[in-house]
Amino acid sequence: MLKLFEHETLNVHNLSDEETAIRVEDLSLSFGQKQVLQNISLSIPKHRITAFIGQSGCGKSTLISSFNRMNELAPDCRYSGKVFINGRDINSRKENLSQLRAQVGMVFQKPNPFPMSIYDNVSYGLKLQGIRVRRFLDDAVEQALKDAALWSEVKDRLFESAHVLSGGQQQRLVIARALALKPDILLLDEPTSALDPLTTLFIEELMAGLKKRCSIIIVTHNMQQAARVSDYTAFLHQGKLIEYTDSDTLFTMPEYKQTEDYITGRYG
Amino acid sequence: MINDKIKSLLNPAQRQSFVISVTAFFSTLLLLVLGSILALVIYRGTAYFWPEPIYSVAFVSQQDNRATVVYAQIYSEFEEDGKQVRWLRYSHEDNPFGTQILLDEKDTLSVIESANGANITLNDGLSVMGVPVRINGSASAAFSEQHYEVMRKKVDEIDASITDIRTRWLSEIHQKLAELDQLNVARDAPAREKLNDAFHQWQSRIIAMENERDNFSIEVAMADGAVVPIALARIQDIVFPGQLSFVGKIAVTFTKIGQFLSQSPKQANTAGGVFPALFGTVLMVFLMTIIVTPFGVLAAVYLSEYAPNTLLTGVIRVSVANMAGVPSIVYGVFGLGFFVYTMGGNIDALFFSDSLPAPTLGTPGLFWASLTMAMLTLPVVIVATEEGLRQVPTGLRAGSYALGATKAETIIYTVLPIASPGIMTGVILAIARAAGEVAPLMIVGAVKFAPNLPFDGEFPYLHLDRQFMHLGVLIYDGAFHSQTDAKGASMMFATCLLLLLVVLVLNVLAVLLRARLRKRYLTN
Repeated sequence: MLKLFEHETLNVHNLSDEETAIRVEDLSLSFGQKQVLQNISLSIPKHRITAFIGQSGCGKSTLISSFNRMNELAPDCRYSGKVFINGRDINSRKENLSQLRAQVGMVFQKPNPFPMSIYDNVSYGLKLQGIRVRRFLDDAVEQALKDAALWSEVKDRLFESAHVLSGGQQQRLVIARALALKPDILLLDEPTSALDPLTTLFIEELMAGLKKRCSIIIVTHNMQQAARVSDYTAFLHQGKLIEYTDSDTLFTMPEYKQTEDYITGRYG
Repeated sequence: MINDKIKSLLNPAQRQSFVISVTAFFSTLLLLVLGSILALVIYRGTAYFWPEPIYSVAFVSQQDNRATVVYAQIYSEFEEDGKQVRWLRYSHEDNPFGTQILLDEKDTLSVIESANGANITLNDGLSVMGVPVRINGSASAAFSEQHYEVMRKKVDEIDASITDIRTRWLSEIHQKLAELDQLNVARDAPAREKLNDAFHQWQSRIIAMENERDNFSIEVAMADGAVVPIALARIQDIVFPGQLSFVGKIAVTFTKIGQFLSQSPKQANTAGGVFPALFGTVLMVFLMTIIVTPFGVLAAVYLSEYAPNTLLTGVIRVSVANMAGVPSIVYGVFGLGFFVYTMGGNIDALFFSDSLPAPTLGTPGLFWASLTMAMLTLPVVIVATEEGLRQVPTGLRAGSYALGATKAETIIYTVLPIASPGIMTGVILAIARAAGEVAPLMIVGAVKFAPNLPFDGEFPYLHLDRQFMHLGVLIYDGAFHSQTDAKGASMMFATCLLLLLVVLVLNVLAVLLRARLRKRYLTN
């Protein structure tokens, strides 16, 4: 639990611009009549792992989806407030959506490799950006698979279908797919909930290693996991941000009663 | 009330087995119907190829009350008004190419299977039953198969050299004469005289060779001993059913199947083969598939991916589904009125005005038929593709968007490949429907007999404006016009069998392709 050897603990409520990966200002969001997020403001530090916890339906997935504008896929989505990444308002009309999504990678709950070869899966995003130089793609695919700790297992069968991989391997492949685009931020939406404990451990180790490359935001139901892997934790309840601080403090001395109830398992 | 009665009569276990029995009964009935259709088509169809025995039949003629003996083939025996009747086709001196007769048992004197009777099929589809006795040619001799082969070879050689002269010399002279005609060269110009001389020289050589060829003939003896000469050049093949072993009969059957698949229809579609119809059917289905697939897929992509979820979209979707139920003849009439007359007519007026009033594209033809069939099968493809698109997991779409793909990129690279088995299902159904459809084709381009194939060595090779033959139309024609000849009827069954096989083969190909795609794009 002693993360002091790795880095100092920052005060998330008072981050400088250089230390901030994402800044959310008074974000409210609704799908149709249903209010999902209410007046959320927070800053997420760079090169750290930040966990979002909360009951199902509390809006944590919606919150991270608003960091790469995936919520727009629902036609009845309305929002107010602002999200800044590297000081840029991502909801502005000038924002290039393709570049934003390349910069903010996302991994979903269920592994969703495309029905193509492992190589094509990893190079999918690069090809979309118009990169066709074979040597460059080869290098990028190899690097991404190494970063996702999958290279040694698949290097001999890069051109086999991604569906022959196991669940854990598929999830790492999906992570590699996002890493191939060299994202600044990686959003993980319950990445291990469909995996067995051993594989989960493997992915958690992977996350710790990836911190150097990008800022990681993870949504999880699993409190132990949040405590194990994250540097900072935010607790959401019914669309509101209840408590947001470093993980050690949140899990040992929560400030609010609701947080304490949730982490001690009184509800949720 | 019935429900109560059943309940009072049967215990729960019996009730369940009762329901199973009732449903199983109807499934069996359906299977039985399908099985009997297949059995009938296969039985009657294969009879066209199987060498039937030749009988020597003696009977008393109804007309002049004289006893006659003939070689005959028996089509069927049945009972009518309590009398045993035979339906046969026989060759006689007066009519060597066959007459049909219904023969009463009381008029029949004897029916004996003939061991050396032969069925001689001619190039024009006619056939003679008799015993070949002599063979005339360079020398006259008794008929033997070896001798026949030798003479046959000679005739073929003469035929080949006639064709050679025709293609190598005569066609050139014809062309030059036509050029002179166009240039209005005088009748007695030296160039023309020279050509005319050459023409007459070659022509007389051909006539001489034809005479030489026609000297080769065989004499066929009828059952009563009368002899009918037949030119060797007219004969396609001679089969002796009485001398064939079972294996030999199978060999003959395969030869006949080969001829059936490779020859043109003869004798007004009652004999010969069906190659032009087979070719036309497959080509039409192929063109239709090329036309309907992109149209159907793009329409389905718009409807299911882009169209706003409004009442109008719903109405369009229902209309598309209902289009599949519109009677096919309506499409045929639309094809004739819109494609052929309006579109084709306007194209003619714009681009081919110098050949008017003779239409170029404003007449029923292969392309218009394919287009009409594409329209007819369009709803099938749209509905199946939409179904396929719906089955693409949302997780995969989200994964693609999350990597920065636009909607179009996601559809092209992820959604369509995964939906491809669904698209193939639609195409399979479209092929099955198009291959079997007859009514609309008859008014937009399919004909009973087309002199040319829509594909040949003449530029532009594929003649989409030509009329074509179709297996279904051939069956329709045969079923209505050839019933007097049992041979023709069995040819129609053979054609039915072939049509079934074509649909089967096209379907199997498409199913295999779909299975491959499924394996490739299987998602968990």
